[in-house]
Amino acid sequence: MIIPCPFCGPRDLAEFTYHGDAARAAARPAHGSTDQEAWDRHVYDRRNPAGSHAEIWQHAGGCRSHLRVVRDTRTHEITETTLYAPEVSQ
Amino acid sequence: MAEPFISTPVMAATAQSPIADALLPGEYGNLAIGAQVALSERFGLAICDVCAWPGLETKTANAIKRATGLAVTKRRDAVGEAAQGFQHAPGRWTVIAEDPSLAERLTRAVSANATVVDLAHGRTCLRIAGEAGTSVLAKLFAIDFAEKAFPVAKGLATSHHAVLAQIQRVDAQTFDLLVFRSYARTFFHALTRASEEFGYRIVPPRAGEPET
Amino acid sequence: MSGYRRPSGGKVIERGKSITFTFDGKQYFGLAGDTLASALIAGGVSVVGRSFKYHRPRGIVAAGVDEPNALVTVLGDGAREPNIRATEIEIHDGLVCESQNRFPSLDFDMRALNQLGGDALAAGFYYKTFMGPARWPFGGTRTWMAFERQIRRAAGLGRAGTESDTSRYDRVNAHCDTLVVGGGKPGIVQALEAARKRRRVIVCEIDPTLGGYASWSGDPDISAMITQLQAMDNVQILTRTTAWGIYDGNAVAALERVSDHRRDRAPGEARQRMWIIRAGHVALATGAFERPLVFPGNDRPGVMLASAAQRYAAMYGVLPGKRIAIVTNNDSAYTSAIALKARDANVITIIDLRSEVSGGARSIASVAGARLRTGQAVVATAGTGGLDSIQVAPFDHRTRRPTGRSEGISCDCLLMSGGWSPAIHLASHAGGAPRWDDTLKAFLAPEDGRDLSLHGAAAGDFVFGAGLSPAPAPVYEVRAPGKAFVDFQHDVTADDVRLAHREGFHSVEHVKRYTTLGMATDQGKTSSLPGQAILADALGRPLEQVGTTRFRPPFTPVSLGSIAAERFGDLHPERITPIHDWHVKNGARMVAAGHWQRPECYNRWKESVEQAYIREAKTVRRGVGIVDVSTLGKIDIQGPDAAAFLDRVYTNGFARLPVGKSRYGLMLREDGFVFDDGTTWRLAPDRYLMTTTTANAGPVMQHLEYYLNVIWPDIRVHLTSVTDQWAAMAVAGPHSRDVLAAIVIDTDVDNLTLPPMGIVHGRIAEVPVMICRLSFSGERAYEVYCGAHHGAHVWNALIAAGEPWGILPYGLEALGALRIEKGHVTGAEIDGRTTARDLNLDWMLSTKKPFIGSAMMDRLGLVPITRQALVGVVSINGEKFHGGSHIVESANPKKPGPSLGHVTAMCYSPVHDRYIGLALVSSGRARLGARLYATDPVRSASHVPVEIVRHVMVDPSGDRMHG
Repeated sequence: MIIPCPFCGPRDLAEFTYHGDAARAAARPAHGSTDQEAWDRHVYDRRNPAGSHAEIWQHAGGCRSHLRVVRDTRTHEITETTLYAPEVSQ
Repeated sequence: MAEPFISTPVMAATAQSPIADALLPGEYGNLAIGAQVALSERFGLAICDVCAWPGLETKTANAIKRATGLAVTKRRDAVGEAAQGFQHAPGRWTVIAEDPSLAERLTRAVSANATVVDLAHGRTCLRIAGEAGTSVLAKLFAIDFAEKAFPVAKGLATSHHAVLAQIQRVDAQTFDLLVFRSYARTFFHALTRASEEFGYRIVPPRAGEPET
Repeated sequence: MSGYRRPSGGKVIERGKSITFTFDGKQYFGLAGDTLASALIAGGVSVVGRSFKYHRPRGIVAAGVDEPNALVTVLGDGAREPNIRATEIEIHDGLVCESQNRFPSLDFDMRALNQLGGDALAAGFYYKTFMGPARWPFGGTRTWMAFERQIRRAAGLGRAGTESDTSRYDRVNAHCDTLVVGGGKPGIVQALEAARKRRRVIVCEIDPTLGGYASWSGDPDISAMITQLQAMDNVQILTRTTAWGIYDGNAVAALERVSDHRRDRAPGEARQRMWIIRAGHVALATGAFERPLVFPGNDRPGVMLASAAQRYAAMYGVLPGKRIAIVTNNDSAYTSAIALKARDANVITIIDLRSEVSGGARSIASVAGARLRTGQAVVATAGTGGLDSIQVAPFDHRTRRPTGRSEGISCDCLLMSGGWSPAIHLASHAGGAPRWDDTLKAFLAPEDGRDLSLHGAAAGDFVFGAGLSPAPAPVYEVRAPGKAFVDFQHDVTADDVRLAHREGFHSVEHVKRYTTLGMATDQGKTSSLPGQAILADALGRPLEQVGTTRFRPPFTPVSLGSIAAERFGDLHPERITPIHDWHVKNGARMVAAGHWQRPECYNRWKESVEQAYIREAKTVRRGVGIVDVSTLGKIDIQGPDAAAFLDRVYTNGFARLPVGKSRYGLMLREDGFVFDDGTTWRLAPDRYLMTTTTANAGPVMQHLEYYLNVIWPDIRVHLTSVTDQWAAMAVAGPHSRDVLAAIVIDTDVDNLTLPPMGIVHGRIAEVPVMICRLSFSGERAYEVYCGAHHGAHVWNALIAAGEPWGILPYGLEALGALRIEKGHVTGAEIDGRTTARDLNLDWMLSTKKPFIGSAMMDRLGLVPITRQALVGVVSINGEKFHGGSHIVESANPKKPGPSLGHVTAMCYSPVHDRYIGLALVSSGRARLGARLYATDPVRSASHVPVEIVRHVMVDPSGDRMHG
């Protein structure tokens, strides 16, 4: 598989580390939250869709950025990659 | 009591290269048509990682330019006479220079726009030059070395055996490779192995650089 | 077979350049350019191997990668490589090969007696005979156990070597816009077209030369096209290269046989080279495979594919027989007939299973001088060693059965053609199911939207000549008495397929696994379609509904060496510390800790590892020792939010840590379990140096980066790995301060200036150093950090300075013993299943702030005191117990009872003068003082009485390290 890193360009899968469902990370309870059920869901519940899946990859063997990658879990076709790094206009 | 220090310049008298024993000048491998690559270590350089705060990338690039004279921008890497710089991650530059005060100068120049980390001891800089250079590198890295994809002065981060490495193209046939110091010996061995079929020359350190 | 070489002809051979090679210990001669197969045919050799199951004699069937029978073992450099197709081996002086599956020799094989057993070895033989309940005295798995050795010797294809392979294998990455697989005419057309658009093109061709079918069928344009292609500077041509797998993103794996065809290699030259080609577009021009026909005796040496004979004649000037008969279900065999005739072959007859044959075909038969027999089939073959004659009978292609009396025809070679299967393997590797083309009677590549195209015969675009049809009759089998083989390599017959059907296997994938049809090294290149047709017949369904099995990589077998390539032996990645060479020079026994090389201990003469570490640990407790801890992970943490960030990732507080001090920190995972520990030093108000365990350096960095980049992008902190920037050495023992005081300048190191957890900056032998007073051993100890390039220099200076106090280096084993005595945890205890409470580290859990894992750490299952908790264990009778032993209550080693936990680490304790260890034991704290047993029934068969004690077994008050 080849993942197009928005910073480095297309790179081999071997350079990337998988970090799971992007929606799950976005729904992490606020730091300090004591909502036990929300934490349980965040830590243990996984969607496992057959099809389009937004997920987090780290380009650990390259620029080390975290990427949001939309991938079809059936074909491994990647339709979208964006950097997680905050882009502030200058 | 001594002041805390942030950078520890490499001191020629006490420093030791991790690949000193392997750097025996000479020609090796298949020399049927002569050595097609030259390998050398650039030991004793100042190496810094400069990391801009979000939104301050351009100011940081300008600061690097002020401190080193390198024409780096947010979009362009640079190779100069006395220094080299490339962006290996968004807002993050590797700057190498022969001047041991590099870390201090950069720290002053970037002020609050970025942070600077001295890596003079943490990285080993190897140079590979010659006709077969890209053929050798293709064995080690899953990177497209065609000039269109990898123009002169560009630098990038990739990995060898899942160990991080950085590469900058110095000119059409010359590349500088930055690897972890701890990994340098294995890497240099792999580099010579990959070079054998093309014939390679190990070049002694340049005059003026520390003996290794 | 009475094959021979014609006095002239042969496109790729060099007449007059004789090559000597050895096959089964006998010397043969061939010509430069010959394959092993062509040279053996030219030499009149007909039997080249024995079959897999029945050990029937077998000859050469094909001329390329599809060869199912002629598998040989190549011997060289002490290593042996089995199952290489004789059709792909280019002979060279000194080549040594062996045939396979024969015992004791090719001509006389005792296991051919297997045939007398008849149907005993039919489909499912192994399942039926060796599985299920044992019926005394034999049956089921008991039979397997009784006969396993003999069966293992008889079964299998070839025999792997035991010597290590000293050849070199390379791996190369390549990038291109267009990758053309197949250097035949359609491939060259594609390559030229792309090259003219200035694309970067790579062409892979299996054979040593480009041209493929066009070359051996005498296409007049082909050599000019090849010359043109070779002249393009943006085209890289890889011959002897098999593209064997295609993966996501058009990443193609290809194996180049760099020097297998030569006796000698240049310095540094690889035997084989693995190419990983990342292509924008992949053009497959992989051609097609001719199918055999299934009839009784179709495996007799002398029976060959029609196109193979044509190829041998054109390329090598070799004819496979003196009287050649042809049996076919399609027109392409007529092309072969006329081509053979043009090379002086004696084609006596063409037997066509079809009752109707086109005028074009008829006229070719007559030009070829071959008697045409339509509506007839071969029902038997005869001969000893090779083929002498065949039996031909009238045939009804609807029932697949002969309809009349048979007639004998004398011939020494029978060519067969069952139509053609496009080589769509690569197209289907990562794609969907192939689709059936009912006109061509063939499966074509799936259309799945990849950037991939097929060309020429691979796309079903067959051209056999004017007036000839590309479509075969849908009949592949002649049902008559006798063994009719579908899969030659795995000895699967037509009856096996029908038996599988009768036993309830109706899916083509199930039949494949039950009969092993198409599971041999050729992966059914020739056999798959005839097999599926027989299954379709049995099911009474059209073939397109039966479908085909999915093709998977590799297309042809790939040597393990080429896959391992640069990842093994002396190229195995290693990381070394700046002091590595000193360790080696001073007798250290180095061990791998992940990628790192670390000293285990410094053995003196005749000293065992245990003796060495005990001596080293004693030195630390009584005098002073020095250990290289450069492998610890080190992370530079900078930014205005650095303190706040550390407060979130550590369970304890770091914001109020003064500058110039360090603190031991504990990290949890999000789920509340312990993740890692280490010390973090505050170097400036907004700058910290974090250390991690050696093993977790990478994971901790990734953990921190994840939270900074993804979860808390607003926190202003920069992380940089500085593991390699610093050499680190710990000086430990009662005299450690004396050593430092003797050598460190620019700072004091007394208890006031450098109290426990304090940090000072100074110099040792001119080199700037940072010193932090930290103890892992429980003794007074200091960690000295300096620039890594100066590490060896500073280490030497410390050793010299410590000489008056008898300083000695110590290794991982002594480090382990010291920490076990002190009850400090490492990866053996932080095993992903333990909580801070389990490890007696609850004192580090801040209640004043949330941190990663704080919300989950008090869940119901993580708090009971019955959980396994960290305790010390001490051998009661002095006997040694082993790491990994289970802690049990029973004194009886035969009935140890349930496990209460396990020993995570053990050592000989110089302080206690006996074996001690750390263990995770359920309700551990409630068991202090209990007498239990450490049992290790499988490995060491030890069962040692132990006492459960507190985990801190040395200096619980900490006086030694704080003094």
